Parts: sequence; C-alpha cells; structure tokens
Amino acid sequence: MGIVSFKGVSKSFGDIHALDNVTFEVEKGEFVFITGPSGAGKTTLLKLILRELLPDSGEIVFDGENIGALTDKQIPSLRQKIGVVFQDFKVLPERTLRENVEVALAVIGVDESEWQGRVDQILKLVGLAERSELFPAQLSGGELQRVSLARALVVNPKLILADEPTGNLDWETSAGVMDLFEKINKEGKTIIMATHNKMIIEKLNKRVIALKNGRIVSGVKEEKVYPQHQKIGVGVHTKMKVKVQEV
Amino acid sequence: MHFKVAFDYIRRSPFQAASAIVVLSLTFFVATMLAVLVYSSGNLLKYFETRPQIIAFLKSESTPEAISAFQNKLAGDLRVKDVRYVSKEEALEIYKEATVDNPLLAQLVSPSIFPASLEFSVSDLSYAEKVIEETKGEGIVDSVGFTASLGGEKTLGSVVARLRTITWYIRIGGGVFVGILSATSFLVLLVIIGMRMTVRKDEVEILDLIGATPSFIRSPIVIEALIYALAGVLFGWLVSFIIWLYLSPNIVRYFGDIEVLPKGTLNFLAFLGLILAVELMVGAFLAISGSMLAISRAKKSR
Repeated sequence: MGIVSFKGVSKSFGDIHALDNVTFEVEKGEFVFITGPSGAGKTTLLKLILRELLPDSGEIVFDGENIGALTDKQIPSLRQKIGVVFQDFKVLPERTLRENVEVALAVIGVDESEWQGRVDQILKLVGLAERSELFPAQLSGGELQRVSLARALVVNPKLILADEPTGNLDWETSAGVMDLFEKINKEGKTIIMATHNKMIIEKLNKRVIALKNGRIVSGVKEEKVYPQHQKIGVGVHTKMKVKVQEV
Repeated sequence: MHFKVAFDYIRRSPFQAASAIVVLSLTFFVATMLAVLVYSSGNLLKYFETRPQIIAFLKSESTPEAISAFQNKLAGDLRVKDVRYVSKEEALEIYKEATVDNPLLAQLVSPSIFPASLEFSVSDLSYAEKVIEETKGEGIVDSVGFTASLGGEKTLGSVVARLRTITWYIRIGGGVFVGILSATSFLVLLVIIGMRMTVRKDEVEILDLIGATPSFIRSPIVIEALIYALAGVLFGWLVSFIIWLYLSPNIVRYFGDIEVLPKGTLNFLAFLGLILAVELMVGAFLAISGSMLAISRAKKSR
C-alpha cells in the first residue's frame, strides 16, 4: 500500500460535487502533480488529506491510518507528519524568518537546544541563511515561498502537500522554487502538488493525476502535452471507465 | 516560547494591556480595602456583642448561696450567656486598672464600697429589656446597669444595631461592588482577548494547519491574560497595602483594645499576604476562564 491512498472518495458541498468517487494511490518517495482547471477539486483533495474536511464517502489512508476515523484530538499528530506549502505562503507576519521555521519545531515538541542547528540547515537548503532575521514584509514572494517550504521541511515530514506553490510567483522564481521541490524529492520525500501550471509539470516530468469536475481523468491533451510521463492519470474512475495509461 | 510570544503581544498593544491592567488593579484594590474593612467591622461587632452587656449589682447582704442560686438560674436561661461573678475585690482591681493613670483615686477606695455583681450578656439584644426587668425583680439584686462606657440600655442597643447595619452594608454592599468590578474586569479581559484572537485569526489558522494542538495555540493567549490579571492583582493589592500600612498605627491607637486589625506586624503582614494569595487565585481564575471563553467564541465565529 502507498503512503497515501484514496478509495472511492466523494465530497460534495451542497449540489456541487467537489470530488466524485476518486481512487488513487501515491507511493512513498513519489512526486505527484494534481492538476486540473479551477474548481476541479484539487484543493479539496489536499484538504481531505490534511483532515480539514471529511469525505462524504470512501476511505483515505495516510501512513497506514484511516484519516476519516481520526478523532479531533488525533488531527494535530496527523498534520505534524505532513508539511504544507500554500499558494499564499501563510507565513506569520509578526515573526522573523527564523521564528517562522522554529514555530514548526515547537509545534512538534522538538527540544529548543536542537532548533538552531536544524533551522540553519534548512535555511541553507532553501538559500535563506543570510536572511534569517528579516521579517516577512522584508522578503520577496519567492523568498516567502522558500520560508513556507523551509517550515514544511524542518519537521522532516512523511509527506509534503503543496497547493499551487507557484501561483503567486513569476516564471523565473517559480522555476527556482520547483528546483527545490525536485531536490527534496530526490532526497526521498513524497510530494503531492496541486497546480495548473503546465510549464512546471512539463519541466519536472513527474506523474500527473488530472481532475475534472471532481473526477480523475487522463485526457488525450495531457498525453500530448506530457508525452514523456511515466503515468498519466492514476486510478480509474468507474463511471468514466478511464484506464490507467502507462507511457 | 509561549511566554515570549505573550510578551510580544503585550508589547505590540500597550494601550490594550494598560487598560486591562488598570481595570483589574482597580478591582483588586477595592477588594483588598473591603476585605480588611470586613475583617475590622466583624471584629468590632464581635467585641461589642461579646462583652458583658448587663451587670446585676448585688446587695451587700446577699449570701453566697443566694448568689450561687441566682447565677445558676441565669446560666440555665437560654437568653443569657457568659455569666460571670465579680467579687468586691475583683471590682476594686477593675477600678484600679481603669484608674491606672491616677493612682490616688485607687488609694482612696476600699473593696467594701464596690458591690459584688453578676455580669452577663444576652444572646440577642431583643431579649435585653425583658431580662433586665426580670433581673431587677430578684431579691438579691440592688440595681441593674449596662456597660458603663456605653451609657444606658438604649445607647448600647443603638450602638450594636448601628454596627450591625454598618457591617451588613460593608459585607453585602462591598460584595456587590466587588462583584460588579470583577464582572467588569472579566468582560474587559474577554474583549481584549477577543480582539487579540481576531488579530491572530490567520496565525491560529496557520498553526492549526501545521499540526499545533489546541493547547499550543491557546497557551500564549492564556499566558497573556494571566499576566494582565497577576499584574492587576499586584498593583491593586500593593496600593491598598501601602494605604493600610500608613493608616494602621492611627487605627490601632483609636480603637485601643478592640482588635480591628491583626495585632503585631507579622500577623498584619500574614493577613494581607493571605488576601494577596486569595486574590492571585481569583485573578488566575478570571484570566483563565475569560481567555478560554474568548478563544471558544473566536473558534465558533470561524
């Protein structure tokens, strides 16, 4: 079983079907893009993994645990195993860059004596070692996203979720951030990234799960655009009878 | 880390912090003043209520058997308490003590001129008139009087009644006043912490998403409220403490034997220390309950 698996997961908001009978699996160490147009269900999917939302039906298993069965008290420990990177960075504006990263260590209860070493190492990795004492207002968008990534990485998570991490960045900065993600993935981290930035998907040449109207699809267009993908559209939507395609 | 964050919040909103501390200081200043007043008025009332109120002066020819029989009769009366026989010699001693400033007066008298007496109190002043009438009717009783320093029976009754009224006003009125101030402090804490939660809404959301437990998120907020409450208690108590310390020599001198304030510096400090300890607990309770309520309200509004 993979580190994350969705089995027939559906989620609706009133009449809107955000996800409809979604089934897929992500292996440990994999880098998977979740793609699709706005409203396809990408963010809902990530929120379900984080247990921000509960599925209406189906089962989501992360690291061997059924997420839907977790009690409210167990949710923090689930989230402590997942590093999250957001489109709008979600950094704490009144704390320095270093403090923003330290807070993640405080959350998981790492002893304060270990903070400096771990934070220095991560900031060096994301190229912000020299700016550790600056406040978010003094940083650029790309740098803020690196802070967000550093905060996600410093806790050594089992999975990194990234929701449109380049959505607010220009192409050049996006490329830099994506290089970082790739580097982290090569070191063995599992990454699920929601994006509709096709240039990025093309550049990284990773597995793509395409969503449309809450269903997993893998269209001809996707195949043409990314001919070198190992897989396009993992999992099969029963209603649409879409096959998993090996390329 | 939580303390640092809490202090940062306070530093960044000094006026909110100041208003919370001032309101709490006022509450605990009044509470401390009233606590001492309640103690003093209670002791004052107890003093007047428990000292012998009625003195039955006995005829000089009364036999010990008759006196004993009358004493037993009084002791068996449920309306009467603390019956004490004062012999002629004891009466002289009391007189000597009372005239210690002028020994010549004591030298001029002998025990024989002082009548023996039976001193007693009534359990309730409403019985006084009836008991006095009955006592006057006893064959061995020469005359019946009230405590000399208080004047006649009407004076004693009115003094005690007035003291009771004052004590009642201090206890009930003071309690209500402190209650209102405590409620105000609680609301101020609630509003300030609520404002803090609104300002921190994004931060709370981020912490929640990266796996912070509810207690991790709450801690700086609760610590901040505790800092306000404890600072308020200390300021309020300190001002009150200085005032009582300044006034106490005059108060003790004015009331003389009546222990309106604990006797001795150590006892007095221990008494005020006890008030401080109670106030710290009340302050902590206000801070914790106020901040928890503000947090739960903020969560509901999310």
